[in-house]
Amino acid sequence: MLAVDRLTVAYGAIGALHGVSLEVAKGEVVALLGANGAGKTTLLRTISGLLKAKEGVIAFDGSPLGRSSAESRVRRGLAHVPEGRRIFPGLTVLENLDVATTVWKRRGMSAAADLDTVFALFPRLRERAGQLGWSLSGGEQQMLAIGRALMARPKMLLLDEPSLGLAPRLSEEVYRRIADINGKGVTVLLVEQNTVLALEVAHRAYVIENGHIVLEGPARELADHPRVREAYLGA
Amino acid sequence: MSQQLVQLIVSGLAVGAVYALVGLAFILVNEATGVVNFATGQFVMVGCFVAVTTVVQMQLPLAAAYPLALTAMAFFGAIFYAIVFRPLQDRAVVTVIIGTVMIGIVIQNASLITWGSVPFRPRSPFGRQVVDVFGAAISAHALFVIAVAFLMIGLLYVLIYRTSVGARMRAVAQDRDAARLMGIGVDRMFVLTWVIAGLLTGTAGILVGPMWFADVNMGDPIALKAFAAIIIGGFSSVPGAILGGVLVGLAEMLGAAYVSSTYKDGIVFLIMILFLLVRPQGIFGERIGERA
Repeated sequence: MLAVDRLTVAYGAIGALHGVSLEVAKGEVVALLGANGAGKTTLLRTISGLLKAKEGVIAFDGSPLGRSSAESRVRRGLAHVPEGRRIFPGLTVLENLDVATTVWKRRGMSAAADLDTVFALFPRLRERAGQLGWSLSGGEQQMLAIGRALMARPKMLLLDEPSLGLAPRLSEEVYRRIADINGKGVTVLLVEQNTVLALEVAHRAYVIENGHIVLEGPARELADHPRVREAYLGA
Repeated sequence: MSQQLVQLIVSGLAVGAVYALVGLAFILVNEATGVVNFATGQFVMVGCFVAVTTVVQMQLPLAAAYPLALTAMAFFGAIFYAIVFRPLQDRAVVTVIIGTVMIGIVIQNASLITWGSVPFRPRSPFGRQVVDVFGAAISAHALFVIAVAFLMIGLLYVLIYRTSVGARMRAVAQDRDAARLMGIGVDRMFVLTWVIAGLLTGTAGILVGPMWFADVNMGDPIALKAFAAIIIGGFSSVPGAILGGVLVGLAEMLGAAYVSSTYKDGIVFLIMILFLLVRPQGIFGERIGERA
């Protein structure tokens, strides 16, 4: 589904990613683990087209993305739930969900079935449908951010720190929903500092340090890997 | 109420409605792009002169002349975005401000070459007709101005707050990157913003023509009053722009009649300065720190 090949990204003279390669197969949940500043968010932002790569190729669904715009990548089925949720604060929950249908909705088409799917996953959003984005709690905002991305009918979701700032029970709830979404056939690449949670849901994982991939493997194996246990699981 | 007072209030409302239209054009562009378009006054002037061309020079019937002028202004907005604003938009704010001021001067002088330095007085659809309002003789054109301006404001409100295109425009204004990630064509929304700015200022230009003269220097005074209106109303507030515009229009007309016609502009700016001192966020504005 997604193949990143020797990707190099820099902010001016400062390199952020140095020849990163990774693959996500159709239907997989892949976790990208690493500390603050390791390059996780940079990688996601480059895949979704907000940042331009210096070198390397990103192929999605069999063809290279080249220098296409972020908007056109959404149209091809790549939806990115950014760090910090970035819901539209002055739009209602319903409007937040509605604007994300831009890429496929044409005159006379209805998004009612898509809305039902999102509300079935996150019933709380239905109760809050008329409220403005800023008035939601952190957990509700995260649900809205994920729900909004689903409204674009993605083949693949990029999730940046979906558990950040959430109470443990809410994080688990969000991760159960991510597993549900994956169960519906959506491929997932997620970035996470909460390693335990990420490795429970992911099939495979990569560990990134200072812009290099240092480890990769099935999630279960990585959970037992001494380097991961020491650095990320505090064992 | 004395006849004169009724006349002053109606003409104050008419002038104020024009300021409100121009103020909304300021706000719309500022909200969408984060930058004030200092060529807004020249937009109004061009709108007025395009109507001079269609009404006076081409002698078209008004039912064709006005829509044609507005269409031209919609294109003017889109072209302004494409050749002026788009190349500037990722630069520092100061660069954009100076750029729009400079282009405003270019537009003003290009208009001088095109339409000449002799002012025109386009006719009103109602000529010099007067209507009786509470016993006072009111110019029909003033009532027409109020009706058209508020119709435009109503349409703008419906577009921005009641349609999904409007929701997308607001999404772009609130978080440009997040809007991109939702597949919203940010460029397209910007074009639309500038087209609407062209229509609002074009309407203002068409309406003021028969009230004042069409003159290439008319843009800046109107833009300054509209700017005062949005400062008084609250810089990013739609109802604020409307109320601010009406207040400025009334202050100008009543001030000219009862205080001093020489200092009528001074009265408006004095009110603006008082607001900046006492309530800098304006009537409907919120302090930056209170933003959620």
